[in-house]
Amino acid sequence: MPEYKAPLREIDFVMKELLDSDKHYESFPGGAEASPEMVDAIIGEGAKFCEEVLSPLNKVGDEEGCTLKDGKVTTPTGFKEAYTQFVEGGWPTLSADPAQGGQGLPESINIVISEMIGTANWSWGMYPGLSHGAVNTVSEFGTDEQKETYLNKLVSGEWTGTMCLTEPHCGSDLGILRSKAEPNADGSYSITGTKIFISAGDHDMADNIIHIVLARLPDAPKGTKGISLFIVPKFLPETAADNAVTCGSLEHKMGIHGNSTCVMNFDGSKGWLIGPENKGLNCMFTFMNTARIGTALQGVGAAEGSFQGALAYAKDRLAMRSLTGVKNPDGPADPIIVHPDVRRMLLTQKAFAEGSRAMCYFSAQKADLLHGAETEEARKEADDMLGFMTPILKAFITEVGYEAANHGVQVFGGHGFISEWGMEQIVRDTRISLLYEGTTGIQALDLLGRKVLMTQGAALKQFTKMVHVFCKENAENEEMKQFVEPLLTLNKEWGDLTMKIGMSAMKNRDEVGSASVDYLMYSGYVTMAYFWARMALIAQQNLANGTTEEGFYTAKVQTAQFYFQRLLPRTKGHAAMMVAGADSVMAMDEENFSF
Amino acid sequence: MAEYQAPLRDMRFVLNEVFEADKLWASLAGTRDIIDPETAEAILEEASKITSSLIAPLSREGDEEGCSWNEAGVTTPKGYKEAYKTFIEGGWVGLSGNANYDGMGMPKMLGAQYEEMLYSSDIAFGLYACLTSGACLAIDAHATEELKQKYLPKMYSGEWAGAMDLTEPHSGTDLGMIRTKAVENGDGSYSITGTKIFITGGEQDLSENIIHLVLAKLPGAPAGSRGISLFLVPRNSVDANNVVGENNKVTCGSIEHKMGIKASATCVMNFDGAQGWLVGEPNKGLMAMFTMMNYERLSVGIQGFAAAERSYQNAVDYAKDRIQGRAATGAAQADKEADPIIVHPDVRRMLMTMKAYNEGSRAFSTYVASFLDTAKFSDNADEKKHAEAMVALLTPIAKAYMTDRALDSCVAGQQVFGGHGYIREWGQEQLVRDTRITQIYEGTNGIQSLDLMGRKIVSNSGKLYELFANEVAEFIEENRDNAALQSTISPLAAAMERLSDVTEYVIKATAEDANAVGAASVEYLELFGLTAYAYMWAKMAKVAVANVEGDTSGFYDTKVKTANFFFSRLLPKTVSLSESIRSGSVDMMALDQDAF
Repeated sequence: MPEYKAPLREIDFVMKELLDSDKHYESFPGGAEASPEMVDAIIGEGAKFCEEVLSPLNKVGDEEGCTLKDGKVTTPTGFKEAYTQFVEGGWPTLSADPAQGGQGLPESINIVISEMIGTANWSWGMYPGLSHGAVNTVSEFGTDEQKETYLNKLVSGEWTGTMCLTEPHCGSDLGILRSKAEPNADGSYSITGTKIFISAGDHDMADNIIHIVLARLPDAPKGTKGISLFIVPKFLPETAADNAVTCGSLEHKMGIHGNSTCVMNFDGSKGWLIGPENKGLNCMFTFMNTARIGTALQGVGAAEGSFQGALAYAKDRLAMRSLTGVKNPDGPADPIIVHPDVRRMLLTQKAFAEGSRAMCYFSAQKADLLHGAETEEARKEADDMLGFMTPILKAFITEVGYEAANHGVQVFGGHGFISEWGMEQIVRDTRISLLYEGTTGIQALDLLGRKVLMTQGAALKQFTKMVHVFCKENAENEEMKQFVEPLLTLNKEWGDLTMKIGMSAMKNRDEVGSASVDYLMYSGYVTMAYFWARMALIAQQNLANGTTEEGFYTAKVQTAQFYFQRLLPRTKGHAAMMVAGADSVMAMDEENFSF
Repeated sequence: MAEYQAPLRDMRFVLNEVFEADKLWASLAGTRDIIDPETAEAILEEASKITSSLIAPLSREGDEEGCSWNEAGVTTPKGYKEAYKTFIEGGWVGLSGNANYDGMGMPKMLGAQYEEMLYSSDIAFGLYACLTSGACLAIDAHATEELKQKYLPKMYSGEWAGAMDLTEPHSGTDLGMIRTKAVENGDGSYSITGTKIFITGGEQDLSENIIHLVLAKLPGAPAGSRGISLFLVPRNSVDANNVVGENNKVTCGSIEHKMGIKASATCVMNFDGAQGWLVGEPNKGLMAMFTMMNYERLSVGIQGFAAAERSYQNAVDYAKDRIQGRAATGAAQADKEADPIIVHPDVRRMLMTMKAYNEGSRAFSTYVASFLDTAKFSDNADEKKHAEAMVALLTPIAKAYMTDRALDSCVAGQQVFGGHGYIREWGQEQLVRDTRITQIYEGTNGIQSLDLMGRKIVSNSGKLYELFANEVAEFIEENRDNAALQSTISPLAAAMERLSDVTEYVIKATAEDANAVGAASVEYLELFGLTAYAYMWAKMAKVAVANVEGDTSGFYDTKVKTANFFFSRLLPKTVSLSESIRSGSVDMMALDQDAF
């Protein structure tokens, strides 16, 4: 099992050197608390917790899984104790509002902690992670009384929360959901229905579980415009009475065995409306963007974790001799890291892990400003950028994270397939990230349909303008030409392709769906190229100015070169495919898919 | 999981219409008296029945239960034993076996279809049978007449199973380092001592005996891969009358806990002075293994796309059944609360991708099998030589490209199911887990790509490549004026040109850079595979356009449309691959080992 080491130097590089976090935190009122010393201390402590407490539980969680007995869910050995420690350390309160007992630190710090937790033990991290949705819902839309009742304990971690959306017959299409909410005389509602795929729907870690449930009021309009949000506690806060919320069964899954994925039955459970009637989906979307950075981190973690495991193995495992001459004459063979193809896999993992981290942290800063910036204009700008980035982060990063995890297995050869080594677990665990919180296909439709075409390309332009400015600024820099030139070309092509698809979509509405996933992947590669170019620039500057970390910065430039030369050409295929048209996708008769 | 339906219509299309197997079989000395179209059809029908009704229902539970181990041996999941008994009674293990030893002597083109059905129904079950067939190939090619007579009939009948014992804890890819020892006993037999790992079917409760083919070193053998010999080591000794006796000091120390193929026992095998017999020449063990390697590697490739075919069938079923959202172009079934997800372009894109790869793989594996058949059954020396060269060239592609695309397809098949794809009951995630091993064993796909790029392309300066390029060029030339094939021939020609250019580029680069082969290899194999599939799709399109008129079944029209999808949506990746390869090895090797 790979032992997790928090990549602190990498985290520091992205936060401080790439994204100038010191200045960022000074730039808005809510950031003032995040002094550089404070940030370092928190991340250092978080790293320790992840390495020492969570990482060792990762394999245990996979092997034991959760069990349901007599209506109660038991989590794997050690999970509960780790959670207690986590709550005692005040970790759930990091970026919560001080009014509710939070520490009021910017969201972007939480993202760093979440990355480390998720890499060390994703299944465990989902228990506190899922509470964010409930906290966000209550704090944005709850009445004062609801805030009073629920927020402090949710924030402290004494209670956890869930989001109950999916039903057996509806996942992507929430408009057809059936759970019902009947009004009671006392202003509360009686909630009845079955929800599936509820992560952390039941467990033994916290005293109470607060469910945010999507349901329909009587006479609600059909479709997505007839959905309301309800807050439904497992135990009623005042009396601690059982509220007829039960876990009907646990799913048997490919991975994330340590997390309980529950079928939740609400059998006339008492609930309270939160937010306006029939506007439940709108309410949810207000914080979806931030939540999806959280899911994207699963891709970062998969790339980082599998890279760490594969790297250690590749330096240790001996097989064959290097083609350019023996490298380990004292041993019976050379370590496999000498072989170009093994390096190709390692570098791909590395480039994805570091590139993805930069993309997530960049977006996390936008999330800080979305809540904390002083002017409406600055908040809007952050919101637009975050809205544009979100589907790319969620889908592209989890896709490449999954690829990286598979490389990790491959570097191990046959041992990669064996459970003891832990590499196949990373593949199984991370596979879910391409499915939940909106599949890759759904994210791609969101990007191309809603974010790009519906804004007439405005959201895209905001990003490409930033890229353009960067390219112009560095146009004369000889060392940067290898990055700036291809980036500039792609940046322009991105707009051209968008235009082309937009035009054909006016004639045929299926064009969007036919192009969307290729468009998203293309966008992901170009976005990541921009961040690699920026990282390369910083590294080159440090090398030019004389640094004591020559190895570190040289590796950055070399990884950027690898990314540009070996991975970025993938844009070519995606570009051709996205404009190939809907005809070949839609032509076949449904009945002819099989004979 | 949807019930498995063997794609017989498509198999007939590939066998009879695209590759005209009947003509080939009639022309080959070794097959003309053995097989005719009626026999082939009967075998296909029977294989379809037994795989879909007997084996396919075992796969889901087999995964849940897995194999279990104790000191007495390995227990396979419920139902496997009974199914195995019924299965071997059909004579399937010896389908392609040597007829002189009670095999059926059937050609590989047919065997490939049978294997696909077997693996689609359950890879884990299929492995028990296929490892036996593989061991038989090596015995048939290299063992003494005495050993052949003693072992082959019992193995073809499935009463005794086979296992291949190569890997050791410290050596997998690099077999030159193995440590298992063989010492002469003085009676013509050898005493074998050592530990082998990852031995598929090394121990099980299905067959009366298990015949291990073990790689070991003789005393004083040269170091490295030139000092390895092959031995036949039965788990239980067999007396002169073929009566199975005591354990031959061959024991299973444990079984592995794996990502997938859980119903297949992956064993640690201990040989503790076990009695064995030399197969082939001393120190030529690896060479002996290589004779069967081409068959095995094609078989692993088939495993991959067979699973992808199962995944595709499930996904199509689900996509027609699951209703979610409305079609972008207007409600497709207004009376229901939503449309089936097959109306959504992205869902169709995934299904079409799976379909195009699977059918491309079926054609490609049959194409490779046709060369294996010619190499084995022809009595014309030139023809044989050409076929052997094509087998050598195409085998690494068959193994690696088919399994790589198979994993992609299984992942897509899981994606079509949304969250349900992650849930074990549906079976889609199992197919991903089961298929993942096919990219690893029998030489990882990285090793296959080195074999292709280094041994098959660079070391002969592209001579083998030219054989393939000439064949495709001839096809292009023949069909250049076929108006119905316009959207097929020109992208094929462009892809072929790209592949030829890249081939030349890499061959040149190797003159100055020892790392050039390894730096290009994986992407080169993919580029070659994709281009070869373009050739397959062009061949299929040619047959389809000739038959589309008047066809009311829709079969040929569907072929044409799938070909169009392949050329417009999948083939463009060749552009990216070619550019990646041309970036060379500098960036790949630049990073200091400690700077990772």
